[in-house]
Amino acid sequence: MNTTFSATWAQCKAELLRTIRNRRFVFFSVIMPVAFFFIFSSTVGSDVKIGSVDFTSYYLMSMTVYGVIGASLTSFAQRVSKERVQGWIRLLRITPLPSWSYVLSKIVAQGVINLAIILVVFVVGGIGKQIDLPVSVWLESGLWIWIGGFAFMALGTLIGSMRNPDAVQVLALIVYMSLSILGGLWFPTSTMSGAMQTIAKITPTYRLGQGAWNLVGGEAIDWAGVGILAAYAVVFMLISAYIMKKQEAV
Amino acid sequence: MKAAIQLERVTKTFKGKKAVDDLSLTVEAGTVLALLGPNGAGKTTTISMILGLQQPSSGKVKLLEDDPRSPKVRDRIGAMLQEISVIDNLKVGETINLFRSYFSRPLPLDQLLLISGLEKEKDKMATALSGGQQRRLGFAMAAAGDPDIIFLDEPTVGMDVTSRQLFWDTIRAMASRGKTVVLTTHYLEEADQLADRIVVIDRGRVIADGTPSEIKAGTTGRIISFTAGAGVTDIALRRLPGVTDTEWSGRRVKLYSGDTDRLIFALVENRIDMRDIEIQSGGLEEAFQALVQPAKEA
Repeated sequence: MNTTFSATWAQCKAELLRTIRNRRFVFFSVIMPVAFFFIFSSTVGSDVKIGSVDFTSYYLMSMTVYGVIGASLTSFAQRVSKERVQGWIRLLRITPLPSWSYVLSKIVAQGVINLAIILVVFVVGGIGKQIDLPVSVWLESGLWIWIGGFAFMALGTLIGSMRNPDAVQVLALIVYMSLSILGGLWFPTSTMSGAMQTIAKITPTYRLGQGAWNLVGGEAIDWAGVGILAAYAVVFMLISAYIMKKQEAV
Repeated sequence: MKAAIQLERVTKTFKGKKAVDDLSLTVEAGTVLALLGPNGAGKTTTISMILGLQQPSSGKVKLLEDDPRSPKVRDRIGAMLQEISVIDNLKVGETINLFRSYFSRPLPLDQLLLISGLEKEKDKMATALSGGQQRRLGFAMAAAGDPDIIFLDEPTVGMDVTSRQLFWDTIRAMASRGKTVVLTTHYLEEADQLADRIVVIDRGRVIADGTPSEIKAGTTGRIISFTAGAGVTDIALRRLPGVTDTEWSGRRVKLYSGDTDRLIFALVENRIDMRDIEIQSGGLEEAFQALVQPAKEA
């Protein structure tokens, strides 16, 4: 039992190391959201409001969500696909490491990574632009993004279940960018046309952002949004489990 | 002696084709076993079943007298599979340490680096290693848990001469400590040097089983080769008594036979036009050829 615990811990550490060393991760999940935040919050100006929320706080939430999603879609999906293609999983199957420990360490490591992204973007953006929010709102919105972020881990697993790591990279980037733009993370949905707004509402990215935007605006989380996000997570997990089972059989 | 591996009438069918066909095999602990056979003979499938990666269609597989999938068994085995598995963004030392953490009584990192000859590469990224170095890393990972049984599928492919020598020394050292080693290889010299038992598999069945010298002695592993004159035909040669196979390259011909003494007389009596005659007694290579070739033509 003791071995399993230390093995799970070692597995977590390895995941974290691999993520931090991944340049793509650092670029998409840390540098890009922070840079976008400063560029757009400076050009738009502090007096603009989205609904009842001032743009700076609104956009900080958008970019935090953008960074967290990026970690799951680019670096996590890539790690999953590389492990599968390089026979790593096969090799792990003949070690005493239980499969639950492998899955658990992936979830824990991604949780730590997502938390770190949230902290970095909040601290850098919050201090850099002197965003004044109650402590409870910081905590609630951070916690919301953190929990909701796991839905995108499921999407990352789905993309990573493809056999070809190069195709995974391209697909992950396309999905990442289009979901971010469609879901209103880059430009608020209120600037979109009516048709685009309708599309935005069905994206998981919008739903994750919406919770945070609501909290910052002093509103409650939209439970319909929670339901949609959870439904996405379940569907992604089911499809990727199905694909992996099928590949295993061959 | 305890049985390290037991296969009882194991058959594995893929889409109606038998990859492994009613195969029984018992390997005692402490054996260095070489599994030989042509490509597609069922070696890798057999190893996959012993490791519990695949389940037999029928028959029983036992590893250390238990189910290969039980965690207790997994703690005492190690394997180096055919495909190279290194993971991105981890250093050599980190990769080995990760594997060490899976086992209840791992070998020290320094020792693993030493036996795999990767001491200087410890802080290199695993993906930056050459093919041969990656195989050696695979070996260090297989040995990480100080296994009682170690499986090595084509271990020395891509290794240079020095690495191969180091590798062989390590295998011998493991064997002398009572470890069971199972290896598949294309290099017959490797099997000859290392193994104390050779099992030849062809089309999913065991076609020969014994020590290297038994295998060499028991087969029709003798060859007469010569440069044939223009009038010599393959048909004429095949008609001679005791010729099991012929092999041509240009005008140079190799005759395989169980009794080369009688064959040489037959060649002379039949006035076969020969130059530069050579008689080779069987090495393992020839024994292997003799075992596998006739089965293919049958």
